Amino acid sequence: MELVPVAIAALSALLSVVATYLAVRSRDMLSAAVFSAAQSTAYALIYYVLMAPDIVLVYVPVSVGILPAVTVLLIKKTERYER
Amino acid sequence: MDVEALVSLVLTVLIPLYVTSFLLYAVRVVKGPTIPDRVLAIDSLGYDLAAFMVVLSILVRSPLMVVSGLTLALWIYALDIYIAKYLEAREMGG
Amino acid sequence: MIDLVLVVAGLVLIVIGVFYDFIGAIGLLRLPNFYTRLHAATAGAIGGAVVPMIGAALVALGAEYLGPPRFFLAGAAFTSSILLMILAQAGSHALARAAYISGEAQREPILYDALREEGGG
Repeated sequence: MELVPVAIAALSALLSVVATYLAVRSRDMLSAAVFSAAQSTAYALIYYVLMAPDIVLVYVPVSVGILPAVTVLLIKKTERYER
Repeated sequence: MDVEALVSLVLTVLIPLYVTSFLLYAVRVVKGPTIPDRVLAIDSLGYDLAAFMVVLSILVRSPLMVVSGLTLALWIYALDIYIAKYLEAREMGG
Repeated sequence: MIDLVLVVAGLVLIVIGVFYDFIGAIGLLRLPNFYTRLHAATAGAIGGAVVPMIGAALVALGAEYLGPPRFFLAGAAFTSSILLMILAQAGSHALARAAYISGEAQREPILYDALREEGGG
């Protein structure tokens, strides 16, 4: 029973590694922003199952709310595909 | 059987089903061919993750942990609006 | 007695929510294109998030071993479920409209397109 939070955190960390790799390798910048949001969601689950809800309370608005907004605004001002 | 043992038993049995469905959502996030597919999968993943956080805060007996579920459920909605606004404005030339 | 009734009703709602969650995940994985996946994702969001939150609120009202903060849990879960019932469909609708207008998602298995005959979205 004590191993359940550790197992959930390990699976979520594996998912965040996959999302980070795809965000780095992607040629489409908008797709990279979406993958970065997926990585933020996985990190929120890790912080939650390790019993730190106050960090989730700060991490989620910054990393799901503000970071994709700034990234999408930058992509809109410049260009979408990487050359 | 008293109330506490019943709640703990049922919620402990439900955890692997939740984790399995999260992995199925994550497969669609990784595999999805276009941008709206990925955004839709992350959206559903976030909503169900918020419900999972609420359920887990009952299981670990600390009811004040529910606020992070509320925060995640209300902020994951913003990603939809950003991506939709970008896709719509690019076509209309705004 | 009323505590046991509340707890059993809440647990039944949570089990129904897990079932909807599974159905939404499998449908999102197996359906052919974006506009059909939208149906599965909205079913997963409403049935898989709103229903278990109401169930969790009922369980928290019934379970006395949690102490006085359980009313906080019940109120937060109920508020979150009501807000989610409004927000999930609005987000899905905005995303579908943007995907149709920009032509980002493929429309291949299609029978009849009423928006194209009217001349644009």
